[in-house]
Amino acid sequence: MSSRRYAGPLRGVVFFALLASLPSFNLAHWVLNILVFTLMYAVMSSSWNLVGGFAGYPSLGHAAFFGIGAYAMALWFQHHAIHSGYEPFLLLPLVGLLAAAIGLPVAVIAMRTRSDVFAIVTITLLFVTQTLAFNLRGLTNGAQGLSIAAPPFSAGTFERPFYYTLIVLLALAMGITFGVMRSKLGLSLAAVRADEDKARGIGVRVLGVKLLSFSVSVGLTAMVGGIWAYYEGFIYPQFAVDPLVTIAIVLMTFLGGRATLWGPVLGAFILETGQQTLAYSLGGSQFYLIAYAMVFLLVMLLMPRGIVPSIQDRLRQRRRRIEVDAGAPRPSSPRMTRSSDTRSSVPALKGHG
Amino acid sequence: MAALLEVQNLVKTFGTVRAVDSASLVVEPNTITALIGPNGSGKTTLFNLITGYLPPDSGRVSFRGRDITGSDAGSLYRRGLSRTFQQARVFPALTVQENLTVAAGYSWGQLFGRRLSRSDRERVGELLEEFRLGHVADLFASELSYGQRKLLEFAAVLMSSPSLIMLDEPTAGVNPVMIETMEHHIRQRHAAGITFLIVEHDMTFVMRLCNPVIVLDQGREIFAGAPAEVQNNPLVLDAYLGS
Ligand SMILES: Nc1ncnc2c1ncn2[C@@H]1O[C@H](COP(=O)(O)OP(=O)(O)OP(=O)(O)O)[C@@H](O)[C@H]1O
Ligand SMILES: [Mg+2]
Repeated sequence: MSSRRYAGPLRGVVFFALLASLPSFNLAHWVLNILVFTLMYAVMSSSWNLVGGFAGYPSLGHAAFFGIGAYAMALWFQHHAIHSGYEPFLLLPLVGLLAAAIGLPVAVIAMRTRSDVFAIVTITLLFVTQTLAFNLRGLTNGAQGLSIAAPPFSAGTFERPFYYTLIVLLALAMGITFGVMRSKLGLSLAAVRADEDKARGIGVRVLGVKLLSFSVSVGLTAMVGGIWAYYEGFIYPQFAVDPLVTIAIVLMTFLGGRATLWGPVLGAFILETGQQTLAYSLGGSQFYLIAYAMVFLLVMLLMPRGIVPSIQDRLRQRRRRIEVDAGAPRPSSPRMTRSSDTRSSVPALKGHG
Repeated sequence: MAALLEVQNLVKTFGTVRAVDSASLVVEPNTITALIGPNGSGKTTLFNLITGYLPPDSGRVSFRGRDITGSDAGSLYRRGLSRTFQQARVFPALTVQENLTVAAGYSWGQLFGRRLSRSDRERVGELLEEFRLGHVADLFASELSYGQRKLLEFAAVLMSSPSLIMLDEPTAGVNPVMIETMEHHIRQRHAAGITFLIVEHDMTFVMRLCNPVIVLDQGREIFAGAPAEVQNNPLVLDAYLGS
């Protein structure tokens, strides 16, 4: 039992230690560049998972908040000089709070609808945001885009500050996810996801937990947008508010497994590194998109709930078989409990758990 | 003594169907009141109106002397008015323990506490013991038999310390042994001071457990009285046999 209790934290420590040590292996710039983008997507998938996975509200509007973060960052430095290369990173929490605050009223309205209608409402939000980015020329400079002064980092280690900041952000997103899963917040969200009306009927704070998860989720997403804007140095509306970003986040989370801690991260690492590598090796052609789609379809056909939940199911079943073989006092399978009912339960089985 | 629940002229229409048609009824405290009636007579709809799952078109509901018409289901649950569903509604992907824990009506601050705290486990453990579900505590609700799920849904609403529990067909689709179990738990909780309003088609169950019996037909009360009188009442016979 104790070995299982420490397995989770240990996995986290090893994962982040490995991530943090990667730059010291003198990786090529293009590899580090892929890693930076992979981390961006890992953070965004983890964040999307809070509302799309745990709350069961499949938002297609998250790219709007990525864009809001990007523009917030770019706009701030239109009006303020950058004194040090690290200053934009310090601004990120503010960017997150701003987006979270904008997300609140959005959630109040959008989360009155559910499932497919919610998806449509949120993707509408995305297109409205994109249109605004194109047309509020006084603010966004329209299709001309905005630029941020290039960071004064040395060319040899240019990616590192971004990379490490993203690691911190990933730790934050995963830490929040972990906290959610371990708390009554996660329990409440699971109830909302399964049967929202019933959850409301048994006193679950339905509206509150929905708003909270949405707000935190879009706040984190916007922070990635802010990092992205600084990393790229310029932003255009079509890339800052891009439906493809939303789609990628959703696919990654589905692939790895919704409502799990590691699923979205795994999905991001598989799809983003895969896509970038394919794009790199297959050149400028669009063939990589087909390969990308094939990988996704194949996994989803084999594991419809995503990779992590499928593995967890298998482990759970095996553990039960082992316990039963060892004579552990617990029914092994649904079949055993289905035929019996509470009265016929063997007294010796009681009191367990 | 004042009525625990009082329904006055409640109306609900779905398109042209008057599912509940000016229904009035009273549930006295410390009773096990039955609500019977032919299929489609509006029993479930009435439950939905009383418990805040549906807004009534008109009429009034009061609970413990206060007007609760149009209140939302969650706040009514917190105030001690809880119900179960005709088709048991539990959370399949949550474990049995979690299904009970989530029904405890937590405050804001407690949301950030542990998913299953020690005190949750103790409280839930007692309930599971009482309902003889201890051996399935860590199973997912999806792994339970239908009867066990009904029992779990019943046990879950006890987490809020309700004063009135409304059960919608607690024995439908459940094996005879489980029906006895259900009856046993209703009697126990009744003895502990909880009032019940039970929709039920199983007449022998109603006859041995409930008093008074209210009969609903075409969305309104046509009879209320002792179980022995129900069978001989011409209006009731008419409702079941006629039209
Ligand atoms: N959501 C709804 N939309 C439309 N009609 C409805 C709805 N709910 C109930 N009805 C109709 O209202 C009437 C009363 O239904 P209700 O389910 O309340 O009856 P009931 O007494 O619970 O029946 P049963 O004993 O079969 O459970 C029926 O004619 C039903 O078809
Ligand atoms: Mg019914």
